[in-house]
Amino acid sequence: MELFTPDFGLVFWMFVAFAILFIALYKWGWPIILKGVEARADLIDKGVEYAQNAKEQLDNARQEADKYIADARHREADILREADKMKTQIIEEAREAARAEAKKVMDAAKVSIDQERKQAEQELRNQVSAFALAVADKVVRNEMSDEKAQKRLVDTLINEMEKNN
Amino acid sequence: MSKIFRIFLIAVMMTVGSLAAYSIAGSENAVDVAVDNRQDEKEDPAKIDPKAIIFEHLGDGYGWEVPFNHHMRIPLPVIVFGKTGLHCFSSSHITHGQTYTDGSVSFKIAGDDSKYNGKVVEILPDGTEYRPWDISITKNVCALFISILLVMWAVFSVARWHKRMGTKAPRKVVGAIEALITFIYDGVITPTLGKRSAKFAPYLLTVFFFILFMNLMGLIVVFPGGANLTGNIAVTLVLSVLTFLVTNLFGTKHYWKEVFWPDVPLWLKFPLPIMPVIEIFGVFTKPAALTVRLFANMMGGHMIVIVLTLLIFIFAAMGPVVIGATTVVSVLFSIFMLLIDVLVSFIQAYVFTMLSTLFIAFGQEEGEHNKHEANHKLDPAEAA
Repeated sequence: MELFTPDFGLVFWMFVAFAILFIALYKWGWPIILKGVEARADLIDKGVEYAQNAKEQLDNARQEADKYIADARHREADILREADKMKTQIIEEAREAARAEAKKVMDAAKVSIDQERKQAEQELRNQVSAFALAVADKVVRNEMSDEKAQKRLVDTLINEMEKNN
Repeated sequence: MSKIFRIFLIAVMMTVGSLAAYSIAGSENAVDVAVDNRQDEKEDPAKIDPKAIIFEHLGDGYGWEVPFNHHMRIPLPVIVFGKTGLHCFSSSHITHGQTYTDGSVSFKIAGDDSKYNGKVVEILPDGTEYRPWDISITKNVCALFISILLVMWAVFSVARWHKRMGTKAPRKVVGAIEALITFIYDGVITPTLGKRSAKFAPYLLTVFFFILFMNLMGLIVVFPGGANLTGNIAVTLVLSVLTFLVTNLFGTKHYWKEVFWPDVPLWLKFPLPIMPVIEIFGVFTKPAALTVRLFANMMGGHMIVIVLTLLIFIFAAMGPVVIGATTVVSVLFSIFMLLIDVLVSFIQAYVFTMLSTLFIAFGQEEGEHNKHEANHKLDPAEAA
């Protein structure tokens, strides 16, 4: 049967064709493809690993951030409280200082008023004594216009002096 | 519902169409559709010779038939090395039985009465036929070259992608071919050959793609395909001889020890070398099984489709109703068989590759530990 006897021509060409195909693919086909597929698999593996790491780091970072935020809130509250305290303190101090200043001013005023009054008193006394002297002068001059009266006065005065001595 | 209706409609149209063809053919008194030109030359053109048609389609030829024309053949070069040296001429000179004289030597295709039926013979001066060394580019050889180019295109398109696009993932056709490559490499070669897979992968992958493309091209019924290439024993023989050579040339010391002095009780191998004989026999039966498996599967598939198609013409003599019914049934069965053949094309390429891998792995055994693993893996192969 023709079907079961291999034909020489076809066997020959089959060998030749397969050899050409095999050499061509061996040189420029399979190694490139297999290496490429391997490289891609490695790349994908690396990518997955990288993504997992990145996710882990992201989770960590989020936790850290949360911690930082809580910390910051805490500190903020502290600062606010501190500021409040400081505010009341400053107000208190200012009030104290104002009070002291006011007292000082009042004291000074009191002292000066006293002085003024004393001065005024002195002046008044001086003026009163001047007036009195002037009055006395006038009175004396009127009384001493005649000799008798003068002599009487001198006498009186000498008498008084004598009595005193 | 609409789907069933559509199928019914197609069936009716096929019946009507075949009736029309029948009536036309009947009026011309020649049912010579798809009948070989050699039949035309016989006295009764309506009578068909199914055996001749089947064997013409399964076998090789010096020209390539084209659809809808039974005299036209695509001419292919005939290259013969006869008693008077090398002769090269177009097959168009001899396809219709003519004698062609190239220089001083005459050639023709031997007729039915010759023992070289269907082959180119040199007619010696005394009138006897001499079969020269024939390396013509026949239909099968041409189909072989087309398959080779297709395999190269397929593989180089993936290789080019890897060169140009680096580690980007390929899409569409390139992606599909790459998926097939990795399917064979990761699914068949690496699990069996392990760390030696890089050494043998080029051969095994080449074999797989070569067989797959030849099988699939054979299923296309018009010009670039249609050659019954893997259903030709020469092709499968070469492939399995190559597997045989790869297995035995790269065979380890342990492999040869297992062949000539297997690990069995002494009485099985000493006075009478029963086991060594069986083992040596096995070395040759493995490639033989490979040859016949692929050849028989693919030839069977081609034959069934041709026979189903021929049924229409065989039953043509029985009247319009029979021819209509036969057409519907035959066409449906042919389509079904062709779809099965698409599956078989893939499975046979896969099986050939898998068994080649196993045989090569069997020749790569080293030491006791590996042997048991390989034996375990070989079991499904025996079943297949």
